[in-house]
Amino acid sequence: MTDQPAIPDAATTGALSRLADEILPALIARLDVSDLGELEVRHDGWRIRLRRSLAPAGAAPAGASGAAPAPVAEPPRGATSPAVGYLIPNEKTAVGRKVASGDVLGWVEVLGVRQEVVSPRDGIVGRYLAEAGQAVEYGQELVVIDGARRAPDPTEQPVVAAVAD
Amino acid sequence: MFSRILIANRGEIALRVLRACRALGISPVVAYSEADRETRAVQLADEAICIGPAESRRSYLSAASIISAALVTGCEAIHPGYGFLSEDDTFAEMTRAHGLTFIGPPPEVLGRFASKAGTRELLAKHGLPTIPGSHGMLRDDEHALAEAERVGYPVLIKPSAGGGGRGMRMVRTPRELQQAITICRSEARAAFGDDSLYLEKWLEDNRHVEVQVVVDKYGHGVHVGERDCSVQRRHQKIVEEAPSPAIDDAQRTALAEMALKAVVAAGYENVGTLEFLVDGSGSAYFIEINCRIQVEHPVTEMLSGLDLVAEQIRIAAGEPLSVRQSDIRLVGHAIELRINAEDVAHEFRPQAGVVERYLAPGGPGVRMDSHLYSGYEVPPFYDSLLGKLVVWGPDRPAAIERARAALDELIVEGLVTNVPFHKALLGSQAFLDGAFTTNLLDRVGAAAFLASTTG
Repeated sequence: MTDQPAIPDAATTGALSRLADEILPALIARLDVSDLGELEVRHDGWRIRLRRSLAPAGAAPAGASGAAPAPVAEPPRGATSPAVGYLIPNEKTAVGRKVASGDVLGWVEVLGVRQEVVSPRDGIVGRYLAEAGQAVEYGQELVVIDGARRAPDPTEQPVVAAVAD
Repeated sequence: MFSRILIANRGEIALRVLRACRALGISPVVAYSEADRETRAVQLADEAICIGPAESRRSYLSAASIISAALVTGCEAIHPGYGFLSEDDTFAEMTRAHGLTFIGPPPEVLGRFASKAGTRELLAKHGLPTIPGSHGMLRDDEHALAEAERVGYPVLIKPSAGGGGRGMRMVRTPRELQQAITICRSEARAAFGDDSLYLEKWLEDNRHVEVQVVVDKYGHGVHVGERDCSVQRRHQKIVEEAPSPAIDDAQRTALAEMALKAVVAAGYENVGTLEFLVDGSGSAYFIEINCRIQVEHPVTEMLSGLDLVAEQIRIAAGEPLSVRQSDIRLVGHAIELRINAEDVAHEFRPQAGVVERYLAPGGPGVRMDSHLYSGYEVPPFYDSLLGKLVVWGPDRPAAIERARAALDELIVEGLVTNVPFHKALLGSQAFLDGAFTTNLLDRVGAAAFLASTTG
């Protein structure tokens, strides 16, 4: 297998690809769902530190600076597709229904196997953005979840603002 | 012929396959990971579909996601590119089970050539020389001496258990052999709990020479000459060229014909590459077969005028070979320089980041296969190949001159690349003499090599 593009020796390459493919995404996901601002892991001479990029209060909104956007995934506005396949909406979560974070809003069928479309937060099912049987891709927004009537959570303010238009 | 193909790869090869689709009038659909949304192939495709997150295991290595993507976009075939699932017989089988065509050898052919040891045995039966070694395990010192004598010194003593180079010893004389056997046995016993040893001829200062073959499903095949890939660092190819400066015309014809005959007899199908080690005396030993399009295929395209990717697609679609051996004329000399995002000064460390400015070189005989553009961000998740600068000239010195000029024209700003290495290489006596061996860079050390040529 000498056909791969030139990269360092097998051990370094293995460690790097494991870092890129497994460890980093897992750590980012951990940090994402936590309240932590920073996460540091030490292992085998590696040290990885992840810091959440928080916009300081009063800073210009993202995108106004003109610089390349930071490669941080936008928080999902609604439920997104877990895979490439065909959408099967859940009849029990029709538009207007109240749902909780983690509720199953439908499925995406991948080669006959169903994968769940999960609500990312509590709220009301606002709109399905794809129809039953429609082909959808990974990460595609499928269901809009409107905010529930409850005390506004200050940490969610920017998310709601982003949905407004 | 297919009307729509899913390209299940990324980077420069996704773009290369897309270009072949355009040449054949096929509509290309590109499957991409979330990290590759902004790539050139995605921009140029008729349709692009996100198959998963950056992590390869859940995108480019996810058979179900790729096949599902092909089905929902109405594709009839999947081109896997190189790496990832390109030689995976299970994936090829799954593709077929869903009514799609895998562009590459059929699953049973991939299966037949899946094991390296099995492939060596199979192709040896069809006449390919393999690295000579002992028949079975070494019983005792006397047996070892007899086998080493038969194979010829220097020899490499290898433990049957273990792997990755552990516990191996190279010996040059019968006296060293006896001593080495004793040490190897006790080491192997301690490390692997098994002290069986065998020996192989040690090929010193070898060259890597590979033969390109194209075989249709009716058993008609052609070879498209050889490529020399002896400029390597830690078994990774950096520069490839054709024809090989290591062998003469009679040797190259004999090698290519022998390789083609063996692989056709063994039932191979589609494009493939047979890799050989060539020793100082010009003897070639088969090491492995690559059942896919290779990174360095443009070298052969420059000499032959063939579009190997288009040929690959046609064969998968069941068409007979479009050329006969007598139609193939290999003209001039071609060199490919792999442009990688890596820091030569720091152990070739891979780089990622935004390409602030990119400009490809041009002129007669210059081809740049690259997915870069100014503003493109190289993600940290994949390999470091940024592109391939391929030059053609009527002869080797002319090709080297064009390579130098093209390297000077190439602009990649914003991240560190291995361009300084290529400049040094093109000025080095070993390369100019066509005398590069696969172990040269590792033996000298890349840093020392650079210093010796730029100083």
